[in-house]
Formats: sequence, C-alpha cells, structure tokens
Amino acid sequence: MMEFEAVIGLEIHVELNCATKLFCDCPNNPGDDPNVNTCPVCLWYPGAAPRLSQAALDKAALLCLGLNAEIQSKSAFDQKVYYYPDLPKGYQLSQAHLPLSRGGWIDITDEDGSVKRLRIHHIHMEEDVAKLVHEMEGRNPISLVDFNRAGAPLVEIVTEPDFRTPHHAMEFLKALRTQVRYVGSSECSMENGTMRADANISIRPKGTSQMNTKVEVKNMNSVRHVGDAIAYEITRQSAAVQAGEPVVLHTRLWDPDKKVTLPMRQKFEGPCVPDPSVPPIELSPDEIEALSKRLPEMPATRAERFVNQHGLSAEESTYLSSDPEVAGYFEELLREGVQPRAALHWLTTQLLPAVRQRRQELSQTPVTPARLAALLSMLAKDEINANAARDVLSSMFDSNDAPAEIVKAKGLAQVSDASALEAMIDQVLAAQAAAVADFKNGQSKAAGFLIGQIMQASGGKANPKVIRDMLTRKLSSVSA
Amino acid sequence: MDSTFFYRNPNRTESPAGKLAGMTVAVQSGIGVAGWPMDPGSDALAGFKAPENAAVVERLQQNGAFLAGLSRSSEFGLGLDAESAAGRAIEQKDARAEIMLDLAGEARLAACRSGIWGFKPTWGLVPKVGIAGLIPSMEACGILAGAPEDIRLILSAVAGPDDRDFSQPAFSYADGSPAGIQPDRITLGVVEEAKASLPGDEQKAFDEELAQLQKAGFKVKMLSWPDYGLCGLVHRIVGSVEASSSAGRYDSVRYGKRAPGAKNWNDMYLQSRGAFFKTLLKSYLIQGAYFQFERYDAYENACRIRARLCKEFSRLFEQVDALVFPVQKPDAPETLEGLYDQFKSTAHANVTGCPALTAAPFAAGGPALQFVGALKDDVRILALGIFLSRTATGGKS
Ligand SMILES: [Zn+2]
Repeated sequence: MMEFEAVIGLEIHVELNCATKLFCDCPNNPGDDPNVNTCPVCLWYPGAAPRLSQAALDKAALLCLGLNAEIQSKSAFDQKVYYYPDLPKGYQLSQAHLPLSRGGWIDITDEDGSVKRLRIHHIHMEEDVAKLVHEMEGRNPISLVDFNRAGAPLVEIVTEPDFRTPHHAMEFLKALRTQVRYVGSSECSMENGTMRADANISIRPKGTSQMNTKVEVKNMNSVRHVGDAIAYEITRQSAAVQAGEPVVLHTRLWDPDKKVTLPMRQKFEGPCVPDPSVPPIELSPDEIEALSKRLPEMPATRAERFVNQHGLSAEESTYLSSDPEVAGYFEELLREGVQPRAALHWLTTQLLPAVRQRRQELSQTPVTPARLAALLSMLAKDEINANAARDVLSSMFDSNDAPAEIVKAKGLAQVSDASALEAMIDQVLAAQAAAVADFKNGQSKAAGFLIGQIMQASGGKANPKVIRDMLTRKLSSVSA
Repeated sequence: MDSTFFYRNPNRTESPAGKLAGMTVAVQSGIGVAGWPMDPGSDALAGFKAPENAAVVERLQQNGAFLAGLSRSSEFGLGLDAESAAGRAIEQKDARAEIMLDLAGEARLAACRSGIWGFKPTWGLVPKVGIAGLIPSMEACGILAGAPEDIRLILSAVAGPDDRDFSQPAFSYADGSPAGIQPDRITLGVVEEAKASLPGDEQKAFDEELAQLQKAGFKVKMLSWPDYGLCGLVHRIVGSVEASSSAGRYDSVRYGKRAPGAKNWNDMYLQSRGAFFKTLLKSYLIQGAYFQFERYDAYENACRIRARLCKEFSRLFEQVDALVFPVQKPDAPETLEGLYDQFKSTAHANVTGCPALTAAPFAAGGPALQFVGALKDDVRILALGIFLSRTATGGKS
C-alpha cells in the first residue's frame, strides 16, 4: 500500500486585545450587550470614514516581531468583497496585497525530540465581522446581527505549508500562543474565540515534492481539535486517493461531537480592491527599530537565561517561561530573596494549583510575590515547617494579614525549643517501647514512625529537623 | 414636488458671525446634515437620516453660513441626469453657493450649464467625512457659485485636515493674498490633444477664447500630452471598480427598501443590495464588477497607467502655470456611453486629483473654459478666476 504524507498550512486569526476597534473608538468588548459598542463607522453607515487605530497597529507590529517576522515599510488595506449578512457592507478591510509583515518562524520540538522550524509566509491585519444570532421569537425563528464584534482588530497569520503532522500544528499553535501572550497583543484562547485556526491539508506519496489539491478545514475550537481534525482529514484523503477518488478543492467544517469533517457551503468571495479611504501604512526604519525595542525578552531566550542564571533544568525553564505571568512571578520571588529551587517548587506545585482552583488570575491573586516570599523566608529560617507553610498559604487567599501574623494567630510557629521538645520526646519514647526496640534492632524505619508520633504530639508545630537530631542523640545514648 | 430641493431647511434663523455670515448655501442631498434625510437620489438610502454633520457642513455652519437645504442629486451624485438640480438653487437665487460631489466633472459641468462658476478642489483638500460617496479616489467636494470670490471664501472655510477623515493627504490650505495675478507673468498651457478632440467649429470657438486670453496679456503655450485620451479609460475602469466595491455598503437592509420575496435572510441581503439602484448606476456598477471579477488584470493596468498619467500631468506644470481645457456642453446621459461622453473634458482632473475651475458660461456654440492647476495649487487657480471675472475675459458673469 502506498504511504502518504500530509502537507499542511495554517491560517490563524488572532483577536488583538486593544481597548478600541480597528477603525473607530468603540470599545473592543464583543461580549457586551448586543449592539452597544457601535458607531456610524463600525455600522458602516453612509459617509462614515475609517480611521486606523495606532494602538492596533502597534500591537499587530509587536506580534509580528515576536514571531520573527519582517515588518514591511509599506502595507495597505484592501476591500475583500464577500456577501454575507455578518458583513452588511459587502467588503472586509483586510491587507490582501501588501501585508504588514512577511516571513517569520516558530521553532517547535518534533516528536523525535529534534527542533523543527515552521515558517510563516506573512501576517496581515483585518477587521472582524459582525456576529449572527439565530433565536426564536415565540414560534418564529428570527435572525439578528450583533455589531459589537464588527471592526474588532484581528491579525491573520498565514504559514508556509511546512507542517507534516497534527503534532506540528498543535505545537505551533501552543508556541504561537505563548509568544503572542509574551508581547501582550492577545490572550490567544481558542476556547474563548480570541484565536481561530483553519488548516489547509493535502496529501502526496511520501518522498515526493508535488503539491496536490488542498482541502480547508475550519471550526476547531481547541488546539486538540486542530490535531484531531487534521488527523481525520489525512486519513479521509488517503482513503479517497487509495480508492481512486479525486480530491477537490473545498472547505470542510470540523464536527467536534462526531469527530469528523463535513463539507460546507462556500461563501462568495471576489478579488480584493485597494481601499482608497484608509491610506497606506508607511513605517520608517527608525519606527520599526523603535518597535523592536519594545519587544520583551521572548520565551526561548528567557528559558535559556533561567538555565544559566538559576541552575534550572531545560525542562523546568521552558515550563516556567511558557507563561509570561508565571515567569514574571518567578523572577519577582527571586528578587524578594527566595532561592530559585524553592521558588520553582512553591510556585508550580502549591501556588498555581491553588490559584487555578480558586479561578483567579496570577496577576490578580492576593498572594502577591512579596507575600509569598515573606512566607517562604519564614520557612527557610525554620520559623515554620512545610506543613504550616501550606496551611498559611491557604489562609493568605482570604486574609490580607502578613504571613507572620497568620502564623501567630494560628499558633503555627515551629517549636524548636529543646526543653519543650525534650518532654514530648520522652513521653513518646515511653509510650512506644516496641518501636524503640525495633530501632535498636537496626530497623531504621522505626525512626520515621517515632518522628511522626512526636510531630503529632506537637500538633504539627515541632521542627522536624530538631526532633530528628534530638531523637538520634537520645536513642544512641540509650543504646550506649 | 420641489424640483430643486429634496429637503428645505425648516429653520430660518441666520447666524450673524463668521466669514460666511449672510451666505446661503445649498448642499447636495448625499451630504449629511445631522437629523436631515440623507438620500443621494437613491431608493437604496430611502428613509436614512444622517447621524451626524458632514465635516464640510460643520465648517460651513461654524463660519456662519446658512443652509438653504438639500439639493436634488443624480443617484449617488454620478452624472448629471434629469433628476439632478445641481446649480439650479443658485440660478433661482435660493442660494449663493452650492456644495456637491464632483466624481468625474459633475460640479464643473453643472456650473457651465447654469452659467455660474464651478470648482473641484485638489483631491483630499476638503474632508469628505459624512458624504455618501461612490468613487473614493476620484471624487471631491465641488463648490458652485455665481462669483469665484465666493468659491474662494467657502474653500478657505471648508478646506484642511479633519481628524475624522484619515484619507486626507497631509497638507493644509494656505490662502495667500487675493492679488498677484499679472497676466504677462503667467503662461497658460493648452493640451493639443484636448483641443483636437473637439469638433471643428468648437475648435474655432476655443481658439477665439484663447485669443481673448492672449489679448488680456497671458502667454498661451501649446503642449502635447499624447496620453490625454487615456484619462477617460482609466476613470472608466478604476472608477467603476471602486464604485462596485464600495457601493456594497449600501445594503438596503438597515435602511432603504428591502427586496421582497426572498427565501431566507441571506437571500434577502443578497437580493436587496443594489435591487433599487437605477439603470445608469446599475450598469456602472456591473461594469465595475466585470473588471473586478473578470478582468482584474485590466484594473491593475489601469491603476499603473493612472500613476503614470499623474506623473506626466504634473510634469506639464514645469512649463506652464496653469492649463486651459475646453469644456463641452453635456447632454443628460441615459447610457454609460452618454455618461463618459459627458465627462470626456473633465475626468482628467479627477484621475490626477488636480484642482479645476470652470469659468461660466458656455460660449455661444463653443466650449466653456476650464482652468486646471498643479496639485495643491487651488489658491492660484481661484485667483486666476477672480482676475478673469473682474476683467470680463473668458467669462461673462
Ligand atoms: Zn464604532
């Protein structure tokens, strides 16, 4: 049987997180009550004139730079004609002929662990269209148009057909999301609709370089769906070709419930005409240079620095730096004097799960880096033990008190005072004669049991390190 | 029915202050006046009320002009058809001036028809925000008046950048001193190819008019611009493609009339768009759609030729101060051919974006004169017109 390989390219729409729309000052909040964020411009009333938002241009340009793309000195908007009720003006302003940037790439880790570079063809800006709402009014179906989204700022990232597997597409989208979040241009959430990906898929006999008829697949609402849809489409097309059926150019929709792609009706689309109402965007080398200077340290660079500066493993560093907020929080902890390993451990295994469980954002949680650092400092100084620290951390979400005060109020200060512990240890040793005997007979496990008993007697407040020292001394002196 | 005004200003108070105080101005019905109907002669906009003042209206009012009302327009201002009342409000003394779109020469030709002065400013000098347009890269806000002094006064009030109009090139209007026309220091150029396009007897009449200018002291220089004839073709292709694309926004759903009998709402949208355009506009848009969808290569070529024409045209002004073109008396167009015939002597200024002034009226049996300046040379062209009106050369009003 003939072996096939897939040739895949992605077209990714990213909604920029600007305060206003692309060509007017209306708030860019599509989720508000229907049609409240509208004006003559985004309703495209007669006489209205678009005015390109500088903020949107900046965010789009930063996004391009963050994806290693080359900003063009001249780009321009075109009228992309299509007739559908979500676009009552009959054309969408988009950059068809002169895109904002060309080139660019993202490096991903392939399934065999090697680095694969996936290239970007170009990135252009465009306006979003209105949202169609189909409802029932009594027994009559009615269709409504919500213009809140009309004119929202989008960029479209068009890749080269460098992808061969669903894995490539999924890793590309994840890395893209990380990098775009880094530059602060978008949240890139496929679930919330701020990122939408369409895939162009064709197949060919493995080892050949021919380009065959492609099929476009839309409507994937998560990175996983993109992988599933591509995998399904590769299987479907391979089977068709094996059966001698031709692949025809068309668009299919992913059905996430049935896990299949189904053909959809084509929208009418015509060639694009340059739009004379929005003047071309001209950027001087100085302006492009100034934009590059605003680019933050990107995740790959940051991860490398974490390895070199803080002695983390490559895996730990990549994980930490994949989210700019997490990486920033980590660095705040270090600035507050927390040791890198303790910071990594407490941030990733304690704080993040707790924040997620409470449905908070890291940037919004009352457990600020300074407060967590104060807590970890008490731990480092043996003023509390790890159990108590976890307990205090949990309280810090509900109280703005300093960690030291919470420790005091809860009576969680660690008992390290020898005389207070001495009595407790003697009591436990007297009560656990069998375990003491086991220990003396060389069963080291018994020591752990005894420490556990002493901890329990102290109500969890004893300093386990001090107990261990004292216990070892005591038992060896008894045996001597 | 009021055949001149589509809508008359019900408010009779006049503003006493400002440089246009006491001046009554009519504006074409596609120009938005907040709360007034905005209907450039098309059922596609029937019932639509302007949500805000057009920039030009705002400036007229700020400078003390009184708006007489909305004058009747051909559909979206294209062509001078039987519906268009352009110039009539001034003829009837209902207004001293009128503002209207000039897409291919409408304002200038209407002025010649009414025996008044008509001016198309440099493209982008007057903001177009708030005007229901059709051909963004060709059309400009034209000004008609009985006296060129009024045109100049109005232009000084309405010209200049508007922060709502992002399409305006970055330049402002500088109104220098109104004096300064010394005929013996001015060379007027005549494009031979434009003269040659006239019928024989009109050529003779044109020559007589040129002789008058020479008698007044102007130097007249014959120039050759072999590509002159391409202006009409470029306007035909680029203009109609732009119109076909941008007229999509007049959807006839949220305002205007919806088409009946659609199967579903998508179908209703598709059927309504353009359903109520009249035959002339419809054929114009279909022609544009043809070039856009079937002959995009021709459209791209036309854009390239346009850039070349602009360059060639600006080079003519290295040899002369202004150009004089003949303007032929138009018939009301019923077909596309009629439309292009109407604008063969005016479309070049829309293609190149240059300022152009027609001096009223048509000579008996001959063409009217049109003075065209280099880009942004609006003030000089108007000063020339004022000089001519005072010396009664070229124009009689
Ligand atoms: Zn808006």
